[in-house]
Amino acid sequence: MAVQIEDRRRVTVRLTILQYIITIIFSILAVSFWVLQVVQNAKFEEMAENNHQRTLALRAPRGIVFDRDGKILVENRHSYSISIDRERTKDMNRTIRLLAGVLGIDEAGVRTIVDRHRREPTYRPITIVQDATLAQVAAVTARRLDFELPGVVVEQVPTRRYPETMGAHLFGYVGEVNDAQVAVDSSLKSGDIVGQSGIEKVYNAMLMGEDGARRVVVNSVGREIRTLEEDPPTEGKRLQLTIDYDVQKAIEDGFDAAEFNGAAVVLDPIDGGVLGFTSRPSFDPNAFASGIDRGTWNALTTDEDRPLNNRAIQGRYSPGSTFKMAVGLAGLEEGIITPDFHVHCAGHANFYGRDFKCWKKEGHGSLDLRHAIEQSCDVYFYTVANMVGVDKINKWATALGLGVKSGIDLPNEAVGLVPSTEWKQRVRHEKWYAGETISVGIGQGAVAVTPVSMAVYMATIANGGTRITPHMLKAVDEGNGWKPVPPPESQGKIDITPEKLQAIRDGLWMVVNAGGTGGRARILGHDVAGKTGTAQVISNAGRAASKSDKDLRDNGWFVFFAPRDKPEIAGVVFLEHGIHGPNAASVAHHILATFFAKKDGLPFPPPPKHDDLRLDYKDPYARKAAPVAAGTH
Amino acid sequence: MFERRLYYHIDWGLLAAVLALCGLGVVMIYSTTSDPTRGVSRMYITQLYAIAIGLGAMVFTLTLDYRTFTDKSHLIYVGLCAALLYVLFFGMVQMGARRWIPLRVFNLQPSEFAKLGVALVLAKFFGENRGAPMWTDLAIGGVLTLVPLALIAKEPDLGTAVTLIPVFLAIAYLAGMRMRILGVLALCFVLAAPIAWKFALKDYQKSRISTFIDPSQDAKGAGYQQIQARITVGSGGLKGKGFKQGTQGQLRFLPVAHNDFIFSVLAEEQGFAGVLVALGLYLFVILRALEAARLAKDRLGSYLVLGVLASFTFQVVYNITMSAGLAPVKGLTLPLMSYGGSSMIATLAGFGLVLNVRMRRFTN
Repeated sequence: MAVQIEDRRRVTVRLTILQYIITIIFSILAVSFWVLQVVQNAKFEEMAENNHQRTLALRAPRGIVFDRDGKILVENRHSYSISIDRERTKDMNRTIRLLAGVLGIDEAGVRTIVDRHRREPTYRPITIVQDATLAQVAAVTARRLDFELPGVVVEQVPTRRYPETMGAHLFGYVGEVNDAQVAVDSSLKSGDIVGQSGIEKVYNAMLMGEDGARRVVVNSVGREIRTLEEDPPTEGKRLQLTIDYDVQKAIEDGFDAAEFNGAAVVLDPIDGGVLGFTSRPSFDPNAFASGIDRGTWNALTTDEDRPLNNRAIQGRYSPGSTFKMAVGLAGLEEGIITPDFHVHCAGHANFYGRDFKCWKKEGHGSLDLRHAIEQSCDVYFYTVANMVGVDKINKWATALGLGVKSGIDLPNEAVGLVPSTEWKQRVRHEKWYAGETISVGIGQGAVAVTPVSMAVYMATIANGGTRITPHMLKAVDEGNGWKPVPPPESQGKIDITPEKLQAIRDGLWMVVNAGGTGGRARILGHDVAGKTGTAQVISNAGRAASKSDKDLRDNGWFVFFAPRDKPEIAGVVFLEHGIHGPNAASVAHHILATFFAKKDGLPFPPPPKHDDLRLDYKDPYARKAAPVAAGTH
Repeated sequence: MFERRLYYHIDWGLLAAVLALCGLGVVMIYSTTSDPTRGVSRMYITQLYAIAIGLGAMVFTLTLDYRTFTDKSHLIYVGLCAALLYVLFFGMVQMGARRWIPLRVFNLQPSEFAKLGVALVLAKFFGENRGAPMWTDLAIGGVLTLVPLALIAKEPDLGTAVTLIPVFLAIAYLAGMRMRILGVLALCFVLAAPIAWKFALKDYQKSRISTFIDPSQDAKGAGYQQIQARITVGSGGLKGKGFKQGTQGQLRFLPVAHNDFIFSVLAEEQGFAGVLVALGLYLFVILRALEAARLAKDRLGSYLVLGVLASFTFQVVYNITMSAGLAPVKGLTLPLMSYGGSSMIATLAGFGLVLNVRMRRFTN
C-alpha cells in the first residue's frame, strides 16, 4: 500500500512538472509567433509580396512611318520572343539543355546568349529567341512550363516590319541597344530596341514610345493568376515623311531593271523634301527587326559590294561632266565669261605643255556656253577652268552644295571634296599647279562628291540659288493629329544673276531635249533639264595597266531637274560602274515619268524591264578579254 | 459495459476542444485546397469522413474499459508489428516511401496506429510493475518501442518513427525512472548524434538539418520550405490576411500546405489572433489530458493517458515550431488539423482512451 501511495504521489508530482514544462513550451511558441507575426511583420510582408508579385514590361510599339500621301512605309507586327527568367530558373544548365532541344537550336548558342547577359540584373529575362516560329512557340507552350521548363517565358512583342524592302538605307534598321548607347543616353536601358541607322536612328527618340508595365500576381511556379495594375505602353509617335511612295518605287524599279549598283536621291528643289532615296546594293531591314543572326550579319559585312554602306550619302565619286555647270557658273558670276563666250574645240587642247583631250576626237568646233553644256565639250570647260582658277571654282561649287555636307537627316553623312589651293597646301603640303585646274574643269582630278550633294547642287541651280537642306520629316503625330514639321533652314542663298543662271539651265535643257547626251530622260511637256556624266574610276593609263579583277568601268551619272522654268523635282541617279552617263538617264526617265504621271493624274508607267532601258554596255576603254569589261548580264 | 452514469463523466470540455481543432483543420484545408485554378478539391470532404470514422473509433475505444485494451495489448502489439511488416513488403509506395496499405476507400497508414499500440503495451508493461523500473524493465520497454520504430524507420518514415520515443520516455518517466537514467539517455543521444549524422541519416535528411541552421545556403532547394514557412507566418500579422486570402498558401509558395504546413496557413490567414486560439486549444487539450492522467484510478490508466499524450504533444510542438520555420522541415503532421485519414482516426481513437481513463476513474 505504501508503494502505491508513493507511486501516486510520484505520478502527481511528475505530472505537475510536465504541466509546467508544457505550459512553458507553449508560452515560448506564442512568443515566437508574436515576434514573427507582429514584431517582424513588415519585413515578412514585403518578402511575401516580392514572392507573388511580378512586374512585366509591356513593350511599346515603335511609331508607324507614313509617306507624304499617308501610305504606310514602316509598321509593326506581333512576334513572339522566348526568354529565360533567371529568378525562376533553378537549374540553368538543365533549362538551357531542355530549351535548346525543344526549340531545335544549338545548345552552345543558347549558352553564349545567356553568358552575354550574365551581368545584367537577374529580374530581367534573357531573350533566347526573338521572332520565334509558331512551331517553336507551340513546342515550348506544349511543355508543362511549370515543371519541365520553369522560368521560360513566351512573350508577344511588337516587331518592326518593312512591308517592301525598299529604301533600306533610308529607313535604316532597329536592333538591341548596345552598351555605348546606354552609356550616352540615360533614357535607354539594356534590352531596348532602338534605331541603329537611317530614319529609325535619327528619329529614334520620337519613334520609340514608352514601355508600359503590368503588375501581376503569380503563383509559386510563376503562372500568372491575375493582374493587379496595368500601365499600358505608349506607342511611339507616328511620323510622316516627305518620301513619295510612288517615286521611291520608281527608283527601286529603275535600279532593279538597270542591274547596276549605285544610288539615287530625288527631292523637291524648293523645300528640300526628299521624295525618294536609294542605295544599291541593298539589304532587308526586316532581318534586323528581330535580331539579326550571325550568318546574315557576316554575309552583309563581308560582302565586297558593302550593302550596308549608304552610297547616297557616304559614297564619294568623281562627278565627271556633271561638274561642268559649277565651272560655267563660276566663270559667269566672276565676270570672266558671258554666255556668249565662244571656244573652238579641235578635239584636244594644250595647257601648260600638256595635251588634254576632248571626249569627241574630231572636235566640236566653235561653241558657246549653252552648246558646250549640251555637247559636254571638254575643251570648252578646260579653257574656262583655266581662266577662272581653282579657288573660284571651289567657291562656286561650294555655294552650289558640292564638297560640303548637305545636312540631310540621316546619320554618318560623308563630305565630298572640291579642291582649292588652300586645301592642297593644308592636306598635301604642296603648291597647287595651274595644270591641275584643267582636270577639275571636267570634274576629274581630286573632285569627289556624294550623290546627295549632287541632288542639292541640281536643286540649287533649279531654284535660283537657294541651297536647300534635304530632309525627310514632314509631320509628326503626337497623338492629336498631324503637326507639320517646318523644313529645315536652307544652307544659304547665293546671289546669281538670273540671266546667267538661265544660260546654264538652257544648256541643261538642251542636253535632254536637243542634241545632247541626256535624250533618254526626255519627257514631253515637262522640260526636263539634266546632265550626264561619265566619270573615270581610274585613269585610262592606269586601267590599261591594271591586272586586278576589280570592276574598273566608268561610273555613270545623270543629274536633273524639271520642269526647267518652274522646277518641281530635282535629283541624281548614280550608276556605279554604269559605263555611261546616258545609262543613268534611262533610269532617271522612269523616275521622272512616274513623278509627272502622278502629278498629271495619268496612269503610272509600268516598271521598266531591263531591255526597255536600252543600256549601253560598250566600254570604249575596256581591255581586250578583260572579264569585267565584257558586260556580263 | 457502458453504464449510463459513465456518460456523465465524459470530459466534454476536452472533447469539445478536440472537435474545435478538427473543425479548424477542415476550414484551413478547405481554404488551401480550393484553388480556383485547380478546380474544387474534395480534400476537406475526405477529412470530414476521416473525422466521422475517427469519432466512431473514439466511441469504440471509449466504450470498452481501457483495461480490456491493455489486457489485449500484447495481441494488439503483435498485430501492429505484423501490419508494419506487411507494409514493408507489400505496402503501397507513395512519394518514395512504402507506408500505406491500400484499402478500398482510403489508404491505411499502420504507423499512425503503432503509437497507440506502443502506448498500450508500455502502459501495461510498466503498470504491472511496482516501484521505480529497473534497468531490465527499461531495456525491455526500450526493445518493445524499438521494434515498431525500426520497422517504421525502414519504410522510411523517420518522422513518425521518432514519435514513438516520447511514448517510451513519458511512460518510463511517469513510472518513476530515475532522473539520472534520463540524464544518461540524454548523454547517449548527444554522443550518438554525430554517429547518426555520419551513418544513419540519408542525404536529404542531412541537408534538411544543415539548411535549418542556415536556410539561405540553399534558398531554392531544401531551405526553400523553411524560408517560405517563415514568410508565410510572418506576413500574417496580427489579424491575418483573411480566409482564403493568404498569398503564400493560396499561390503554393508553401509546399504541402494542407498537410505538414496547415498551421502556417492558419497563421497567415488568421494571423497571430488565430495562432493564439489554436495554441490555446492545443494547450487546453494537453493539460486536460494530463489532468485525466492525474485523476486516473490506477497507474495503468495514468501511463496509458500519458503514452497517448506523449506522441501527440511531441508532434504538436514539433509541427508548430516547424511551421514557423523554426525547426528543420520533417514530414510530421499536426494531429487533429493536418489532412490525413489514418492520423485523424488514430488520434481520435487515442483521445477515446484518454476520455475512457478519466470517465472510469470511479469504477472498479
